[in-house]
Amino acid sequence: MAEKHSYLSQEWCTEAEKRLRAELTPEKMKFLSSSVAYVYVDCPDGKDKYLFFKCENGEITEVSVGHGTPPDAEFRITGPYELFARLTKGEIKSQRALMSGKLKLKGSMVKALKLASVADRISKVLGTVPAVY
Amino acid sequence: MSRKIEKNDPYAIDFPKRVSQIQQEMARENIDVYLGSRLRTLSWVSDAFCPWRSYVVIPPLGVPTVFTFVIDAARVADDSWLDEDHVLGYAPMGGMDQITQIADFIKDQLKGKTGRIGVENGMSNYLPEGNLTHYEHEAFRAALAPSELVNAHSILDRVSLIKDEGTINRFRKASRIVDEGHKAVRDALSNGGWKGMTETEVAGIAALAMRRAGSVWEWSFTGGNEIASGYRTGFAGGACTPPTTKKLKAGEPLMVDIHAMFKLALGDHSHNYFIGRATKRQLWHAQNFVDIVKLTLKTYKAGVSPVTMAEQMMDFAEEREFAEYMVPGFEHGIGMLGDEWRIGMNSGPLAYWTDPEHCYQENEVLICAMQYACPQENIGFRYENPIVIKKDKCEALSKFGLRIEVLE
Repeated sequence: MAEKHSYLSQEWCTEAEKRLRAELTPEKMKFLSSSVAYVYVDCPDGKDKYLFFKCENGEITEVSVGHGTPPDAEFRITGPYELFARLTKGEIKSQRALMSGKLKLKGSMVKALKLASVADRISKVLGTVPAVY
Repeated sequence: MSRKIEKNDPYAIDFPKRVSQIQQEMARENIDVYLGSRLRTLSWVSDAFCPWRSYVVIPPLGVPTVFTFVIDAARVADDSWLDEDHVLGYAPMGGMDQITQIADFIKDQLKGKTGRIGVENGMSNYLPEGNLTHYEHEAFRAALAPSELVNAHSILDRVSLIKDEGTINRFRKASRIVDEGHKAVRDALSNGGWKGMTETEVAGIAALAMRRAGSVWEWSFTGGNEIASGYRTGFAGGACTPPTTKKLKAGEPLMVDIHAMFKLALGDHSHNYFIGRATKRQLWHAQNFVDIVKLTLKTYKAGVSPVTMAEQMMDFAEEREFAEYMVPGFEHGIGMLGDEWRIGMNSGPLAYWTDPEHCYQENEVLICAMQYACPQENIGFRYENPIVIKKDKCEALSKFGLRIEVLE
C-alpha cells in the first residue's frame, strides 16, 4: 500500500508534482500557460497555507506549497482548508464549491471558464495522491 | 465579427482621447475612480453593445475595464476597442459576483488608500438608463468603505454632449439605413400591396431592408419598429406604438416609425401615409403637420432652446387653429445606444428631465420629434428625424422626403 503523506506537506507536494507531470500531457493541458494559487484558510495548524501551480505551454513547471502569501498567479482561489480537502478527496465538485460562494476566485472569469476542464483534471490527479487530511 | 475600426475610417472614434477627457474631468472633481453603470456610459466608453447589466471602471490614468455578465464578456471584448484583459465577466461564484469582483478591482486601483468613487445615481423615464440600484449602491458602499461614493454622472453627460465627426458619421449612416427601410415599406405598400397586410408585417419589411443595409437591430425599447394604423395613430401623447396584428384598412392613416443601429449610432425616422384614400379633413390635418415640421426643421440652430422652440411652434399651431392636436414638445435626446430622451445636462427645474432653457450648441445631435394626435377623429402623425445642430441651421439626417402620401 502506498505511503500516505500529510495533505499539503512537502512530501505530498513532491508526489503530486510527479503524478501531474506523468498524467497530464501538454495535450491534456491544452498547451496552456497559466498559474493558480489556492489559498487554504484555517488549516489544522491554525495558519494559512497555499498550493501553487504554474504551467507553460501545457508543461507543469512548478508545484509548490508554503505558508503565508503565495507567489503571484493569474488566478487565486481562497477558501477554508476543510472545503479544499473535500474537493481533493472528491467529496464535492469545484462548481458547487465556487457557486456556493465558499471559495473566492480572483482573476478573469472569462479565462477561468476556458480553464475549467483543465482545473478538474488537475483536481482528479491530486485526489489520487494518498494523503492524511 | 470584430468591429475594430482603423483610424482613417470615417466611423473611427478616438476612444483613448474620449477616456482621457473623462479622466481630466475626474481629476477636476477629485474623483479617484469612476464606476459607470448606465448604458449610455458603457456605449460611450467601450463602443460595444452591453445588453446585460454591465459596469465600467475608469481609473485616473490608463485604460478602463468593463465588467459584464460572463456569458457575454468574450463577445463584448470582440466588439470593443478594449482587449480581453479589460473586459471581464462576473458570475454567480465566490469572488466573481459583480459586487465583490468590482469592489476588489477598485480597491486595487486605489492601492490600499481611501478614495472618492464616482458613481451614477439618478432617475430616468427611460427604462434601460442603468443608474445604480439602491441595493447596488449600498452593497458597493459597504464593500468599499471607508471610501466615499459620490454621484458623478454629470462628468459623462458633459463630455458626451457634443459629438465628434466619427460619431456623427455613424448617425448619418444609421439614417441612410433607415431610409432604405422606408423605401422598402413604400414599395411593398404601393399599388394595393397594403391589402391584407398587418402592422407587424410592415415592421418586418422595414427590418429586413435595414438589416440588409447594415443595421444590427431595431434598437428602440418602445417596440422596435413602431407601426400604427387607424385609431392607433391618434393616441393622446402617442409616442409609443409597438406594432400589432391589426390589418391596414382603406381610409386610415398609417404611421411608420422605424429604427436602425449602426455601430451604436441610432437611426430613428417616422413617416406617415394614408391607406387607399383620404378625406379632405384628413388632408387638412396632414397639411398642418407637414407645415409645422418644415417650420421646426427650419428653426433649429445653435442658440435656440427647447422652450423657445415650443413657444414658436405652438404659436404657429395656434394661428393655424390646430394647437389642440400638437403635443407641445419638439425633440428628444439621442446619443450612442442607451442615451435617449433627456437633452443635455441635468440642469433643469425638474430633476432628470430636459432643461427647457438648454441652449443648443453646434454638433449636438438630437431627434426632432413631433406628435400630432386627434383621438376623436382616429388620426395622428409622428415625425422623428435625427438632426445635427449647426451654427445657422440643422442637418436633418434622414433624407426620406417629408410628405404624407396616399398609397393607392
